[in-house]
Amino acid sequence: MGPTNKTRESFHQRYACFLAALTLLLPSQWTRAQVLPFDKRIAPILASYCLDCHSGKRPKGGLDLSQKKLAFEGGNRGQAIVPGRLTKSSLWERVRKGEMPPKKQLPKAEAALLKQWIIDGAKWGTDPIDPYKYTTNKRAGYDWWALQPLRKPDVPKVQNRKQVHNPIDAFLLAKLENHKLTFSPEASPRALIRRLHFDLIGLPPSPAIVETFTKNPTDQAYNDIVAHLLASSHHGERWARHWLDVVRYGESDGFERNNPRKNLWHYRDWVIRVLNDDMPYDRFAKMQITGDILTNDSHQGVAAVGFLVSGVHNTVVGQSERMRKLARQDELEEIVGTLGQTFLGLTVNCARCHDHKFDPIRQEEYYRLIASLDGVFHGERSVNSPTVQKRIKTVNRKMTQLRSDIATTERPARLAIRQARKANRNRKPQPPEPLAAWNFDKDYKDSVGKLHGKPFGNAKIHNGGLILDGRSHVETKRIDRAFREKTLEAWVILDDLNQRGGGVMSLQKPTGATFDAIVYAEREPHRWMAGSDSFRRTRSFGGPAEKQAKTNPVHIAIVYRSDGTIIAYRNGRTYGKPYKTGFQTFEANDATILFGLRHTPPGGNKFLRGKILQARLYDRALSAEAVAASAGIQSDYVSEKQLLAKLSPATKKHRADLINKLAKLEAELAKLNKARSNKVYSVNPRNPGITNVLLRGDIEAVGKIVTPGGVSSISGLSADFGLKANASDAERRQKLAEWITSQNNPLFARVIVNRLWHYHFGAGLVKTPNDFGFNGGRPSHPQLLDWLASELQRQNYSLRAIHRLIVTSNAYRQSSRKNSKAYAFDANNRLLWRYSPRRLEAEAVRDSILQVAGQLNREMGGPGFVDVEIRPNNGTTYYTPFDPIGPQFHRRTIYRFSPRGGRSSLLDTFDCPDACATTPRRSVTTTPLQALSLLNNAFVLRMAENFTKRIEREAGAEIPLQVKHAFRLAYTRNPTARELKLASSFVREHGLASLCRALFNSNEFIIVE
Amino acid sequence: MPTNTFNRRDFFHWGLQGLGATALLTLLHQDGVIQSAERRSPNFPNFRPRAKRAVHICLVGGLSHIDSFDYKPDLQRHHGQRLQSTERPDIFFGQVGLIRRNDYEFRQRGQSGLWISDLFPNIARMADELTIIRSMVSDSANHTPALFVANSGFQFNGFPSMGSWLSYGLGNETESLPAYVVLPDGRGAPNGGASNWTSGFLPAQHQGVLLRGGNRPVRDLFPARAIPAKTETATRDFLRQLNQMHSERVGENSLVNGRIRSYELAAQMQTSVPEVSNISGEPQSIQRLYGIDNRTTEDCGRRCLLGRRLLERGVRFVQIFSGGPIAGNPRSSWDAHENVRENHSAEAARIDKPIAGLLQDLRQRGMLDDTLVLFTTEFGRTPFTQARSNTVGTGRDHNRYGFSVWMAGAGLKPGIAYGETDEIGWRAAEHPVHWYDFHATVLRLFGIDHERLTFYHNGIQRRLTNVHGHVIRDVLA
Repeated sequence: MGPTNKTRESFHQRYACFLAALTLLLPSQWTRAQVLPFDKRIAPILASYCLDCHSGKRPKGGLDLSQKKLAFEGGNRGQAIVPGRLTKSSLWERVRKGEMPPKKQLPKAEAALLKQWIIDGAKWGTDPIDPYKYTTNKRAGYDWWALQPLRKPDVPKVQNRKQVHNPIDAFLLAKLENHKLTFSPEASPRALIRRLHFDLIGLPPSPAIVETFTKNPTDQAYNDIVAHLLASSHHGERWARHWLDVVRYGESDGFERNNPRKNLWHYRDWVIRVLNDDMPYDRFAKMQITGDILTNDSHQGVAAVGFLVSGVHNTVVGQSERMRKLARQDELEEIVGTLGQTFLGLTVNCARCHDHKFDPIRQEEYYRLIASLDGVFHGERSVNSPTVQKRIKTVNRKMTQLRSDIATTERPARLAIRQARKANRNRKPQPPEPLAAWNFDKDYKDSVGKLHGKPFGNAKIHNGGLILDGRSHVETKRIDRAFREKTLEAWVILDDLNQRGGGVMSLQKPTGATFDAIVYAEREPHRWMAGSDSFRRTRSFGGPAEKQAKTNPVHIAIVYRSDGTIIAYRNGRTYGKPYKTGFQTFEANDATILFGLRHTPPGGNKFLRGKILQARLYDRALSAEAVAASAGIQSDYVSEKQLLAKLSPATKKHRADLINKLAKLEAELAKLNKARSNKVYSVNPRNPGITNVLLRGDIEAVGKIVTPGGVSSISGLSADFGLKANASDAERRQKLAEWITSQNNPLFARVIVNRLWHYHFGAGLVKTPNDFGFNGGRPSHPQLLDWLASELQRQNYSLRAIHRLIVTSNAYRQSSRKNSKAYAFDANNRLLWRYSPRRLEAEAVRDSILQVAGQLNREMGGPGFVDVEIRPNNGTTYYTPFDPIGPQFHRRTIYRFSPRGGRSSLLDTFDCPDACATTPRRSVTTTPLQALSLLNNAFVLRMAENFTKRIEREAGAEIPLQVKHAFRLAYTRNPTARELKLASSFVREHGLASLCRALFNSNEFIIVE
Repeated sequence: MPTNTFNRRDFFHWGLQGLGATALLTLLHQDGVIQSAERRSPNFPNFRPRAKRAVHICLVGGLSHIDSFDYKPDLQRHHGQRLQSTERPDIFFGQVGLIRRNDYEFRQRGQSGLWISDLFPNIARMADELTIIRSMVSDSANHTPALFVANSGFQFNGFPSMGSWLSYGLGNETESLPAYVVLPDGRGAPNGGASNWTSGFLPAQHQGVLLRGGNRPVRDLFPARAIPAKTETATRDFLRQLNQMHSERVGENSLVNGRIRSYELAAQMQTSVPEVSNISGEPQSIQRLYGIDNRTTEDCGRRCLLGRRLLERGVRFVQIFSGGPIAGNPRSSWDAHENVRENHSAEAARIDKPIAGLLQDLRQRGMLDDTLVLFTTEFGRTPFTQARSNTVGTGRDHNRYGFSVWMAGAGLKPGIAYGETDEIGWRAAEHPVHWYDFHATVLRLFGIDHERLTFYHNGIQRRLTNVHGHVIRDVLA
């Protein structure tokens, strides 16, 4: 990997004239003192221009210039260097004639040095030449700026001290003043608060915050808003999105199969959570490299190392051993490359086939890093956290105790109520005799025959009823007789009247392919129906909407006559109108009864959420009188109201306390259960093997064995992990993490503060956040970079501390307006004489639209919403975006299930990366397709309508008021008189929705000043 | 003029913005709002460009070269024999059956006398226009990576495809159509889907834009729900005024101006895309030439004609896929594992006439002089059958060691064949041509030195040809 000789030449052209500037950027304290003239002056020339051919096993022309002895011995053309004798030295002769270097002459200055050196006696220095010793105009050496130890520079003095809010400003201003420039005036309060919101939480501010601040734009008020935003849970969502770009987070494998990764979201959630907790950055990094080991395979730790395996994964590696090995090496390169770029800004992956062409990273060191991660494999893990397990036990015990306490408290009252009922019951008509009856008072047994039920899922008996949570059901044994006519009957309470499709009681053939059932609201909301396979025997009864079943038990009976007539009853009265349809028989031993499930297999909307108090099954069609009689039976159920009426005030309070405690424990248990047995896409560690250098990266050209280690050219940091070649995966990764996060690793802190800067200002101090090497950018303000990095260390790696520093600086608070003098000098704003205006990123566009339309669903965490159709086709998975409707799809974009190659046009055209590789900075394009997408995309149009409804709701029907409200919500300001006039007449002619659509498309909405 | 070192440094980082002199909106970010580089004169062409535009017909699934463009008379003799080889071939299913002779008869065609089989009778009639390469080799015998490498030079996802590189290097000659248009097979997208026409790390405007049939040929070209034309015009007008007032308040900058311009171009695209897509105005004779009057050839015929219309209007690169998803039964691609004769006859019937029609039409319009036509496939198929080791089966497995592609048009030597496979068509034997070489040659025809078309990405100046590639000079006119 790396350009060929020819390309290097073009690199040379590109960089040659830059040499001078480069030297300027190397402060004197970074160069090493006391160097031999040869090492400093001559060796770099030989290394840059000669050694590529004239060194190694088979040097060209038999001449090896890398070692003293061989260099003086000369090559096929005789002596290359004769001290003091220019004409005898073929090295010089060939340079003089322009024959060497072969493709391009040596620059005059270098040629002169070489000449002088020979004249002076050609004294050699370090032997053999270490080509990495010094940075040349072609490559970086050990003295490369980024590799030098971190020292906290003094804060420079500036003339205009009033402009300095904190040291950041001093560093920037010093440079501006050098060029007779200064900061721009502060941005308007509104622009500032908008900027701050998008930057820190990725959402627009509320009009109220802007108004308050505009009235009182003090530093204190500003700082309060900063503190508030940094503490917001949206902050983690916003900055996790940046991090996910860098770690190439994608929820499918890529390559040929591109299988979905349904359980990688744990990593995304982990990043959001720990950013919200301001986890120190060194811990943050360690957890992502070695969290599973550090935390004894806790859920958090296993989720965190998802970092290593968030990238693409080839799952079709072919048959041959060779292909398998190659795929594994590719996989490791992908991981090591991302790791190096993410945490160190080093493109270590470029040293897979040869020593790095531009940075002092040897091929061997690449393989030492590979060895450090050789135990890392993609996979899924079940996480069973021992602490979680323990806590679940405790919580369960406490809950049992509380339930029993509650029951004890209620018992006298319940008994009294039931006694009173019994006294009444004698006066009622005799109910019909059922074939089977389930009272659900203490178990699932049939109290008439032997048709006992068995619970599935979390089904349980409580307070005289069968509790169904929407994921559970009860099924009986097979019924030993055939059915022609039948009656299904149940007393039921619904948890939620808006649920759709849950089965109360079902008679079904064991496969579930044929069934007759009491079903709630499958076809029509809030209506009872006789459910059946493919609705074969289902028609609408046309009964009224159910309104009571949430608070009172409802008696439902469905009678099936042999002529195909189906009659429904609710609370003993006919429900809607009977209808006649086909007739279904059920053979003996070929049917079961289900409660809480429409039919098997279990899943989806077939489940009921509610409580079945009793149920009865009859092998005949009951008459209306019989149903009415049966409906008169009271269950053991005691309503809350009845119960409270019987309790003394003291008991009531005691009981309320207990219930409150129970509710808290239930909530905790739900969380614990989520965390207990999660499948997590993560590192599936295996025993690492022995790693060899692979010559030219060829898996068949096996070189020497290497031990796990790092890159040695980072000064002040040992690259030796002190491990054997066969060390365990845990040892390797731990050492690697320690090496990366070491206080003495200057790259670690430099790279992250530069990243933060990049996202705050739109460009880093180093413009290539993943590459601090020779091919990357040079820091515009090296001292500031180091000051920030040192400050991060001093603040115990608190990222929030750096965020706060940056956003409270004067530099950050500047206006974004153009200043023609500064612009003429520094159009790219590298000196930060203003705040560069920016376009919102894809996610922020979508999230802002949702918020302004009043549709943003702020639910955090968990599996992502899926807005692609997932179509597996013979091993390959295809993802086609579609436009789903409903609040569950209105979550922030970071919660979108994000398979590779499956993006909506909105995200696509706004430069959302496809996560095939790390994206340290996004490209920012403006294209007609982007305009079309924002104008015409179904989502945008729908949100414009939601926005319309919101305005109508909140601002009433008067057009000028609507326009004002629309501007306030979209822009957090009132319209100008001109805008108001224009917009009002536009609304009058084309409707409010057209205005909303236009606002979403407008520059002011999309551009942050 | 900016003089500080940072800008000078940026000068070398021109990669961020792309080079196209007329690329749609690369012009719009020039004042540094997005830290762009200064404009500099276009770097390309490096040579006299012979091609101005290209149409790439991309066969999905692997065309059997020994049944189409690579005549191996010796196959007849080897029919029923074992493959003589000591090493285990890297094919896909790994079943090495006995060698099978070609299923289609070969004939010499045209003035040039090129050998082409009866599989493509119509294309064969255009033999004198073709430059066949018979010694292609690929890195992968797996569909998706092989298709990726043919398009982008890399087996992995996320690298820009040839069309994106050309868009990046040369921009577009029209502002109202995308530079790179993709026309997938009517039966569905190829394996790898949109990753095949991704712009990878190049800016998004260089991505291939999918053009489909129907009344919404480009995603979001028109509102997802009906909006009266009057309202559309008024909205555009209102939006422009809104943006105007905004500019007056905040001052002009390239971002603001760029967005305003993008809406103007979007409006143009709403007119020009339906216009170019509407082929009903083409004369009957032309429609017949492309086979649009026939149900079998209609899908490809429409796309070939549409391709020509796009090229005529200044689109840089049109990609036409032959073959949908790899899987399924019957197969909807060239992946003839079971039966070459059945599969290839059906697939060729769909595209033979349309492609020949396209060549003929380009020729008669004089467009072939500066239009490049590329006809490629993922890999070839094995001379031995995919069957038990003692059986002559009817299907052939993937062959990455030797296969054929052809080019035609701008700047090529027509009517020649370059390179050879061994006597049974198993391996490239003379002048092996890797995709890198193929890509280098295509770029060269566009006047671009493939080593100079680069983009900085994560530490490396990336190229379409990675670190390889030699221009095949022998095929250049």
